[in-house]
Amino acid sequence: MKRAIFQLGTLLMLACISTATRAMDNLPDGVQLHGFASQSLISTDHNNFFGQTQDSASLGFTELGANISWRINPKVQMSAQAISRRAGETDNGTPRLDYATLDLTAYADETSRYGLYLGKIKNPYGLYNETRDVAFARPSILLPQSIYFDRLRNFSLASPGISLYSQNRLAVGDLSMQISAVRPNASDEESERTFLGKSQPGSIDSKTSYIGRLLLEPDNSRLKLALTGVQINAQYQPGGGDALQAGVIDFRSWILSAQYNAENWVLTSEYARRRIVETGFGPFFLNGTTYGTSYYVQGAYTLSPRWSVLARYDYSVADDADKDGIKFQSKSGLPAYSRFAQDWTAGVTYNASRSWQLRGEYHHVDGTFWLPYGDNTNPASTARYWNMWLLQAAYRF
Amino acid sequence: MTRLILTLIRCLIVLSLMLLKPVWAVEIIANPDVPVSSVSQNALRAMFAMKLLQWSDGRPVRVFVLPDDNPLHRAFCKEKLDLYPYQLRQTWDRLVYSGTGQAPTEVDSEADMLSSVARTPGALGYIRKSRLNDAVRILTVE
Repeated sequence: MKRAIFQLGTLLMLACISTATRAMDNLPDGVQLHGFASQSLISTDHNNFFGQTQDSASLGFTELGANISWRINPKVQMSAQAISRRAGETDNGTPRLDYATLDLTAYADETSRYGLYLGKIKNPYGLYNETRDVAFARPSILLPQSIYFDRLRNFSLASPGISLYSQNRLAVGDLSMQISAVRPNASDEESERTFLGKSQPGSIDSKTSYIGRLLLEPDNSRLKLALTGVQINAQYQPGGGDALQAGVIDFRSWILSAQYNAENWVLTSEYARRRIVETGFGPFFLNGTTYGTSYYVQGAYTLSPRWSVLARYDYSVADDADKDGIKFQSKSGLPAYSRFAQDWTAGVTYNASRSWQLRGEYHHVDGTFWLPYGDNTNPASTARYWNMWLLQAAYRF
Repeated sequence: MTRLILTLIRCLIVLSLMLLKPVWAVEIIANPDVPVSSVSQNALRAMFAMKLLQWSDGRPVRVFVLPDDNPLHRAFCKEKLDLYPYQLRQTWDRLVYSGTGQAPTEVDSEADMLSSVARTPGALGYIRKSRLNDAVRILTVE
């Protein structure tokens, strides 16, 4: 029944999208409509990823989105995007506002631009965060989970707040800066389990947090170098009969990003260091400071205008002081391999047209660090080594 | 001897293919109301990247492009902007799907390009030199 309602909803949304596309030529001056849709088929030999995928195949990963923007004049733009995302047990497809941003340019001339974004803003984080739900704007079906950790996607995706930006065209290349003061959303199940180990009776409320990115693009943007800084503050609100006290979470992260764009190949790497300080949760919690590391190295090669291939190595570890997770296992009784993940990925993309794309992807994974909790409720029944196969069809306008 | 003849034939084939390959003399064009007659390559790149949104008098820039796989678009990207077409597409996708900007208007043919630039105030586009007419202004790239 639930599935039938969802499929009906999907069809309605696609009908709206195609009507909108036809109406696009008649839009008022300065107004644009765009959208995207993707459907994936996922299968695994062990563990579940976005649905019941183990020894089976699931259509549990669907992305739909549509946006409208109005460029009122060169200094003012209003934009909003709605998305519906289904991802196994971690996301049920409920449509939500992805962003609603007012862009005000305070000053612009031929070599510089300064302004601010107000509203619900996409977080400036690494190379792919702002467009992570748009299949066409990703290099692969799944983004490298080390950096684009889907467990914390609500946390890192977009937040209400204010953001200041600057763009300068310098001799060395384009330099852009953006710094945001936001209140991220940390109240979902996956975030809670990531920070607190398991589902707790209370909830996590974020406080004012900061995220900023410096991006330099030398050599006509062939090279992109970025440094992202994140500082997120949150407080735990205990629930009824809660063993935990009102603890505080201080999450900090630095991400270094580099990408080289050649005519037929793109080489990308991002490296992140995280620090999580958890204090004041009381005697029934492992209060303390944890440092974690993540990185990936990715190469994409264009074989022809339609075909391209990708290879990637992706590594993440929850605690640098306990890389193999042994200490964690002896303290918690949970699997040691849930504290790291190494993912070898190979993918192929076929661009059928400007609006249609097909992708296939294979992952060989050692560890379950980024495996969704919702799809794998019993940690004891997970496997350390697992394989995953994905197929995706994507559409955009 | 046969080998020499074969090599010669191959050279001739390659040479004739090179001569047949169209030469894209691309010109940057603008609506006649645009207040400039020349533009720097940096400014041009920023305008086609949809990051520089106004002319020197504050009038909005309206950018027109041909589809990504159009040979003239590819030649324009390379010769005039020194960019690969996929770089522009990436930039536009980022703006469009993050709420921080818009994509340029895509036209299907050179005839559409010419008429759109001719009738839209503040318009910016490009065309093959052989297709130029008086309804648009040529911008020289410094």
